[in-house]
Amino acid sequence: MGVTAPRGRRLQQWMSLPRSLRSRVTVAFGLLALALSALLAALAWTFVSSRLVTQRQDAGVRATTVDAEAITVALLRDRTQIPSLLDGLPDTGSSSSLLSSGGRWFTTSPTVGPRSLPAALVHTVDGGLVARQRIDVAGAPFLAVGVPLGSSVGGAYYEVFPLSDLDRTLHVLSVTLVVAALVTSLLGLAVGRFASRLALRPLVRFDEAASAVARGDLDTRLDAEGDPGLEGLAASFNRTAEALQQRVVADARFAGDVSHELRTPLTTMLNSMQVVRNREAELPPSVREPLALLHDELNRFRHLVVDLIEISRHDGGDPLVLETVHVGDLVRHAADAAAGRPVTEVDPAVRDVRRPGDKRRLERVLTNLVDNATVHGYGCVRVGVLPAPGAVRIEVDDAGPGVAPERRDRVFDRFASGGQRSSDGVGLGLSIVARHVEVHGGQVWVEERPGGGARFVVLLPVEEV
Amino acid sequence: MTRSVLLVEDDPRVRRVLRLALEDEGYHVTEAADGEQGVDGVTRDAPDVVLLDLMLPDRDGFSVCRTIRQGSDVPVIIVSARTDSHDVVAGLEAGADDYVTKPLVAKELSARIRALLRRVEPSAHQHHRVVWSGDLRVGVDDGVVSRSGTPVSLSRTEFRLLAELAVMEGSVCSREHLLDRVWGYGYFGDSRIVDVHVRRLRMRVEPDPANPRHVVTARGLGYRLVV
Repeated sequence: MGVTAPRGRRLQQWMSLPRSLRSRVTVAFGLLALALSALLAALAWTFVSSRLVTQRQDAGVRATTVDAEAITVALLRDRTQIPSLLDGLPDTGSSSSLLSSGGRWFTTSPTVGPRSLPAALVHTVDGGLVARQRIDVAGAPFLAVGVPLGSSVGGAYYEVFPLSDLDRTLHVLSVTLVVAALVTSLLGLAVGRFASRLALRPLVRFDEAASAVARGDLDTRLDAEGDPGLEGLAASFNRTAEALQQRVVADARFAGDVSHELRTPLTTMLNSMQVVRNREAELPPSVREPLALLHDELNRFRHLVVDLIEISRHDGGDPLVLETVHVGDLVRHAADAAAGRPVTEVDPAVRDVRRPGDKRRLERVLTNLVDNATVHGYGCVRVGVLPAPGAVRIEVDDAGPGVAPERRDRVFDRFASGGQRSSDGVGLGLSIVARHVEVHGGQVWVEERPGGGARFVVLLPVEEV
Repeated sequence: MTRSVLLVEDDPRVRRVLRLALEDEGYHVTEAADGEQGVDGVTRDAPDVVLLDLMLPDRDGFSVCRTIRQGSDVPVIIVSARTDSHDVVAGLEAGADDYVTKPLVAKELSARIRALLRRVEPSAHQHHRVVWSGDLRVGVDDGVVSRSGTPVSLSRTEFRLLAELAVMEGSVCSREHLLDRVWGYGYFGDSRIVDVHVRRLRMRVEPDPANPRHVVTARGLGYRLVV
């Protein structure tokens, strides 16, 4: 049945996502993979970056020390050629050299001058220690290494190494690690999904079987298929299903037996009532009112018994009597007769639609829907036969109070009336409608009629419209 | 004219109340409490209609129906306490003309009886009251049906079915139309009544009932008499 779930329940389902065991397992795998890969990435990052930085610093210090020794030797020989001296140092790539000698600064770079060197570094080197520091020059990272020149020469020698390539390497590394962590998490999700499917396959089948039973397929059984984890579960499930099926069959048989037993006394009562009513004129007036009451009740009783027999027939697997049915004609005959006046409008597009159907059951569908409109909807105002994709749409409208959204699902249950007056004798009518429509492969639901009232819709599939 | 009904029913209370109610409807009612009495009643009282309960103490209703049908063309209405398809078809196959299910009311029963006792009415444009389908002669007025000059014996209802097909002069009759004309149902009679009767009719009038030449099926629409 095309009935929408009550909003509250749907919200609850949404809030408790992920609700299935399988998606929980999948998400757990994903989170675990994310945590592990993040940890690994962090460790890798820490180790590799500190290693690279240390290496670069050591290399810088070594190169600067070697150059400083060369400069010391040269200065001892000749103090006047300092600029050419700096230029004559072995090429160290893109590094710059600065020399502080006798209170003067010499540099090989137009951008890196003594101002670029932090005071603390200069101070430490002036104090006679080798020092290094990361500095920023014009927004780019550099490593500055200072080596004091021996006391015989005086002054200090600095080299400034660009670190941007190292930073670039570290950046690439970090991006790689983050991507790797994400990919690992996704792989974790996939593995989780696969593993959960594998591990939960028995439970999924159990769930399917239980749902099938809930839908009414009571002969559903679970086959363990040699899975030792499932055998116990399958056995107890099958026992439960068997017991339930026996119980339902027994209930149906009981209802059927009772209603069959009621037929004979009901025949006697109905005909006796008819004989008495034929002689109503001979009766004293004081008897007429209770007689009318008795007559009405007897007719309701008859309806109830006929409905019970109908349901027990259905439960007993009474086969469909299929023949080619002219849908429009059938609806018109059944609905107009039930309403006692013409109420049917057949759309010209579906005027000639025929399909296989059980005439008696389809008549029952229309009669019960129109009766329901009469009892609960202040009378049927219209029955429409309309085209729908791959189907014929039959609408039964009333102008009554309508059916509240939260009740729309339940009106098709046994003994659930559309309105508040459950004693009006259509307690089984809509449930018979639902069954008969279902065996025709159709759907039935109730919606709000534009302009007020209830609209019961029956969708009967047809091969061509 | 008072029509007579033979009521074959084992439950004395149902028998009594149906007699009272049917007498109110204007019928003369005779009673039979079991199958043997029922078969005897048909020969002795020559009723216009038999109401036959399927659950009888001595023999089942189907065999009673077959016995009655052997010696009489009286319309038989089966009264069933069950609505199983199997029961209905078996009853019709045994030769019953119609069926009703309990709980039944005399007024509705009376409508069924009246329908079965109705005569075939001429259609407006009907001139020839004798219709020929090849060598099959259908005398709508005189009630005589013959094939190649040999009289064919039909039950009352079989004849009325054939006559309704005949007055349509070869046009297709829908099951609904036949249910209404022959059995007095509206649109929603049980089409199996028509199908079983057509099958029985073919056994009588067709040289080869499996390949009918006179009463042919119009698939999904109904039946027609080839004229």
